[in-house]
Amino acid sequence: MAPREPAVRSEYNGAPDARATHMQLPIGAVTRSDVGSLSKEADAIDNFLAQAAIRQPGSALQLPKTSRLFDELVTINNLNLLRPADRKLLAQFLEVLRTKAPSIHISFNTDPSPLFLQRLVTWMRQQIHPFVLLRIGLHPSIGAGCVVRTNNKYYDFSMRQLFKDQSGLLLSKLRAGNAMVPPESTPTVRETAK
Amino acid sequence: MHKSLNRNVRGGSEVNIWVLALILTSLFAATGAFVYLAMRLPSSKSDSGSGNPYDDQAVRDVEHIFNEEFREELRNRGRLHFEKIIGENAMFLQQDLRLTTSQLNEYMKVEITKKLQEEFAKYEESISDAKELAMGSINKTQELIEQQRQMMTQQLTAEVVKEKTRLIKNFEDNMAAIVNHYVLAAIGNQIDLNDQLEYVINELNANKKDIIEDITNGT
Repeated sequence: MAPREPAVRSEYNGAPDARATHMQLPIGAVTRSDVGSLSKEADAIDNFLAQAAIRQPGSALQLPKTSRLFDELVTINNLNLLRPADRKLLAQFLEVLRTKAPSIHISFNTDPSPLFLQRLVTWMRQQIHPFVLLRIGLHPSIGAGCVVRTNNKYYDFSMRQLFKDQSGLLLSKLRAGNAMVPPESTPTVRETAK
Repeated sequence: MHKSLNRNVRGGSEVNIWVLALILTSLFAATGAFVYLAMRLPSSKSDSGSGNPYDDQAVRDVEHIFNEEFREELRNRGRLHFEKIIGENAMFLQQDLRLTTSQLNEYMKVEITKKLQEEFAKYEESISDAKELAMGSINKTQELIEQQRQMMTQQLTAEVVKEKTRLIKNFEDNMAAIVNHYVLAAIGNQIDLNDQLEYVINELNANKKDIIEDITNGT
């Protein structure tokens, strides 16, 4: 099933550039805080260029440092930050993303690796929504798998839930095992510990 | 028993007292007769002082016959006779006393034995009654204890079955969590999140439609 037209995309359609509808978000920008960092970097660049335009000749300017993620964002969207229109487009895009982008909360039993997150985000932005953001949580008791929470729904893909769903099978196996094993041959806890 | 024994002893004492009184009475009577005779002899001598010569002669003869030596002889004989009677009566009294004592002893022995046997019989009967009563009480107590034991056994069995059922139900209700906890404790460190990516994506893919609908239309 093809994803619907993202709501985020229509928010910045009023941008002066027609490229606004083709803006992309790098895979490395996973969470809303990543988008916030990108927005701050864009503001810093905008401020720097504004100050540079009104600066006195001969005065020193310190070029703001940008992250690899910000560079990737600029590169994949073919933006020229020396142009005010592009800076405005970027700022508007990031602001809309920060406030309007859909967010999905996913909890794992351990902290996921960056590679894992990139693969997951790639799949989600291809299959769910191109600007979907994630909130990563830690839930050690689930064992394995993950727990996904959207705005109104809750999906438990954990091993715990799997065991719960298969409890009937487990019980039947357990009872069958108890019926086969004579009581005197059942090892005690102490024997098992040895 | 003690009262009857006292009564019997008292009865025997009364018999002895009567015999003793009879003997003493006879002794007193003999002594009285002797004293009377001794008193009569001088009085007859004084009465002989009448005017009749025969009488005087008779008095002299009498005094001659019954002179002082004769009287002394009579006194001695009377004394000896009295002593003999006293001795005989004392012997009889001693014999009677011995007989009475032996009879009294025999009687008391018999009575005491009889009373003791009666008392022992009563005592044995009382002991037997007490024993039966105690045995009845012990039997009743044992029956009650047995009933309570059976009741407690039934209650304990019911409680054990109930607790077992509760434990099994609790285990079955929480079995998923228990197994999950066990698996986590056993191999939790060996579960790699990267190996779960395919499973996670498959699950997300299975629910993709609902997720898209929720994030598109949700607030």
